[in-house]
Amino acid sequence: MQRILWQWFQREWQVWRVGALPGLAVIGLVVLLRGVGALQFLELTLLDSFLRSRPAEPMDERILIVGIDDADIRQIGQYPVPDREIVSLLETIQAHQPSVVGLDIFRDYTIPPGQTELAKAFKKSKNWVAIEALSLFTGDRVATPPPATVPTEQVGFVNALVDRDGFLRRSLLSAKDANEDFHFSLTAQLAKRYLEAHGKTLDNGIRDPEAFRFGKTELHRFQANTGGYVGADDGANQILINFRSGQRPFRTISLTDIKNGNFKPEWIRDRIVLVGITSDVQKDLVNSAAIVKDNPGLVPGVEAQAHAVSQIVSAVLDGRSLLNTLSDPWEYLWIVAWGLLGLSLGRMSQSPLRILLGLGATSVVLTGACYLAILGGWWLPVVPAFMAMFLNGAGLTTALFYRYGQNLQMGIAQRQLVINQTFDAIHSGPLQTLSSLLRTVKSQSLAPEALLLELQKLDDEMRSVWESVRQEVLIQDHQMRLGSNVTLDLDAPLHETFAELFYVTLQRDLPYFKTLKIQIPDVEMLDERFLAMPQKQMICRFVEESMCNVGKHAIGATFLRLVCRQEQGENLIQIIDDGQMLDGKALELSAKGLSLGDGSTQNVLRFSARGGTRQAQELAHQLGGSFQRLQNTPTGTICQLKWRAKRR
Amino acid sequence: MQQLIMPTQTNPKILVVDDHASVLEGTVNSIRQQYAEAKISVAQTAEKALGIVKEGQPDLMVVDLCIPQRNGESAKIETGLQLLRDLMQHYPTLNLMIQSANTASLVRLKPAINAHEGGFTIAAKSLSLPDMLTRVDWALQGLVFTPKEMRSGLEMKSEWLQMLKLAFEGGLQDKAIAEQMNISERTVRHYWTKIQDALGIYPDEGKNIRIHTGIRARQEGLID
Repeated sequence: MQRILWQWFQREWQVWRVGALPGLAVIGLVVLLRGVGALQFLELTLLDSFLRSRPAEPMDERILIVGIDDADIRQIGQYPVPDREIVSLLETIQAHQPSVVGLDIFRDYTIPPGQTELAKAFKKSKNWVAIEALSLFTGDRVATPPPATVPTEQVGFVNALVDRDGFLRRSLLSAKDANEDFHFSLTAQLAKRYLEAHGKTLDNGIRDPEAFRFGKTELHRFQANTGGYVGADDGANQILINFRSGQRPFRTISLTDIKNGNFKPEWIRDRIVLVGITSDVQKDLVNSAAIVKDNPGLVPGVEAQAHAVSQIVSAVLDGRSLLNTLSDPWEYLWIVAWGLLGLSLGRMSQSPLRILLGLGATSVVLTGACYLAILGGWWLPVVPAFMAMFLNGAGLTTALFYRYGQNLQMGIAQRQLVINQTFDAIHSGPLQTLSSLLRTVKSQSLAPEALLLELQKLDDEMRSVWESVRQEVLIQDHQMRLGSNVTLDLDAPLHETFAELFYVTLQRDLPYFKTLKIQIPDVEMLDERFLAMPQKQMICRFVEESMCNVGKHAIGATFLRLVCRQEQGENLIQIIDDGQMLDGKALELSAKGLSLGDGSTQNVLRFSARGGTRQAQELAHQLGGSFQRLQNTPTGTICQLKWRAKRR
Repeated sequence: MQQLIMPTQTNPKILVVDDHASVLEGTVNSIRQQYAEAKISVAQTAEKALGIVKEGQPDLMVVDLCIPQRNGESAKIETGLQLLRDLMQHYPTLNLMIQSANTASLVRLKPAINAHEGGFTIAAKSLSLPDMLTRVDWALQGLVFTPKEMRSGLEMKSEWLQMLKLAFEGGLQDKAIAEQMNISERTVRHYWTKIQDALGIYPDEGKNIRIHTGIRARQEGLID
């Protein structure tokens, strides 16, 4: 059992070694492309569209956005909105006991009227958080300080981290400024305060001490090569944003709504309230393609903050998943596995149509699996896996089409050979007879009986040519016709076909088959993985013809031996006899198409030694091997065809 | 000569494969006449037959060539041929008796039959009961019988010729032949049965089969 398994493995390995090398190269190329970041853009774009096409989640009731819109600004009649307006807004909200309030509006300098009121109000309400901007990245050289006199515990930074395509996909939690002082982001401040109120305090991560952890939920830090990213800026503490899906992920009301009491108190009580600018004129916008919007891509900054806070709070309190990724080794294993799957499609089926169908089905499965993974919070590499799988599958299909074309060409070459031989046969047979006939008729010395005889001979010759051409043309691709009514099936292994060929051919009525005492069919399995159908056909023709040559020319042969076996990586076919072959003359005679007693009509065309040798040499050339006619000791001939089994 | 032939078992395990229930019954009854204690199982498809052999190799398998692959499919000679290929490849010592009159289709299996080390006999279904039971017996003994129609003349493999020379010209015993030819003694015994089949020599009361083989080989000019 083990031996059989090992043999199977070796056989498969041989095939894969030859067939899979280009496939493995393709996989390698895809891995390389991904490694240098050439696929990052595609992967990120696909991530956005997957996130966008998720089914809608219910609105996050924990967060209320109070947006100052264009109508509000028109009513106030001043921009930036003066401090007094803001304080009055915050006081109204505070009256309904929110858990925490984030003011996502820069107040690095005061805007009268109400200059001093803001500072006082912040001192009074410890659950308010103001914002600042740090000088973290090359992009933002100018830092924006927080409002003066607001204590640092009540400040969070709002730097946004956008990718090279300008889209927001990551959220900052904390960072150090140029003086190495530690700062929380607004997101972190709001989430931390809200979660503290729910008994989940901020701690260091267990797996990664630098990561944030609330209870059992650890917020995995984004690394330079996380997911589809390659060499991204992974400074500070950042995480991927698993945007909340749906048209209305958060409840949003305007400043006017608050002023007019146009809200329910429970929208505010114990909630996270984010106050920011949602005006289309006074822009505070970021780009995101992962959120469903009427105006795709543009999201108010305050809403982006809401997504970032919401995902942390929901993860800790509801177990909603964050956006997870596989580690690099697993990601590449996943890509290679899909590549191999694409490759094995070609091994499982030889039909281009089936491979294409398989390719379609596999693509659907891959895309579906990755979409389901996104629903479960896992971002898998779709693009490289798809490329590796598809290129391999499609490549194999092309290769198969190519092989089909090659088979066709070989078939055409064989037909051409038949045509040439037909021409030869006509030229050396009937045409010769006809010209001699014409000569004698012109000299008018021919008796009517002799003329009739000559004409009959001509008729016979013409018929035999016609018969053999007809037989060559009528056969199907996977069949071969022997004699008048035996058809060989070439789908079977070659050595089995030879056994049948040997048996059938020896029954032909040829003079020196009758003298044979022993028939020796030493046939064993050949390595025929790289043989196309027309080649098999030609090899069978070669064996048949060489055997018939023995029957016709090997005077007094006592044995005929057919050898067929593998020898040192080569396929070997030998037809051996011990008869006396008349040299020169016999060949010349048979070349003229004169039968040596064979009752069959085909000898004119195929068994002519001259044409036979030429065809055998042509065959040897096609197989990349050699054809030889050797002297057997003490007497006889060895007809030998030899070719390397694994030439491609 | 006797040591060549394994003693005929009294309660052999026999598997009969045929898609016609009535033929199956007939075959089973015939076998029972000779081997009353035989453990006979039956299969009507190639798939089932292979499944049974996988569970434990029988002492003899009687196979009809024209059978379906699985239930509901049509019976084809190709299926029977493929079953034989599989059996001979994976169970090289399995004794087989083929029930078929269609010897032409078996010609292509000759390389596999020649390499097979178990008994292999062919019996047309029209054969008389005693003759058929003889073929069963021969197959059980590990002997080979193939009809003359499967050969266009005297067919010999090179190895068999070499062995004949060593045995009758060199006068060697099986053990010495095995050493000379670098094969197992079992293979030597199996060559003898193939040669005897090729020469048309089968067990006969009172005849020494090996001496008879020598006489016939000399007549045919296979040895000096």
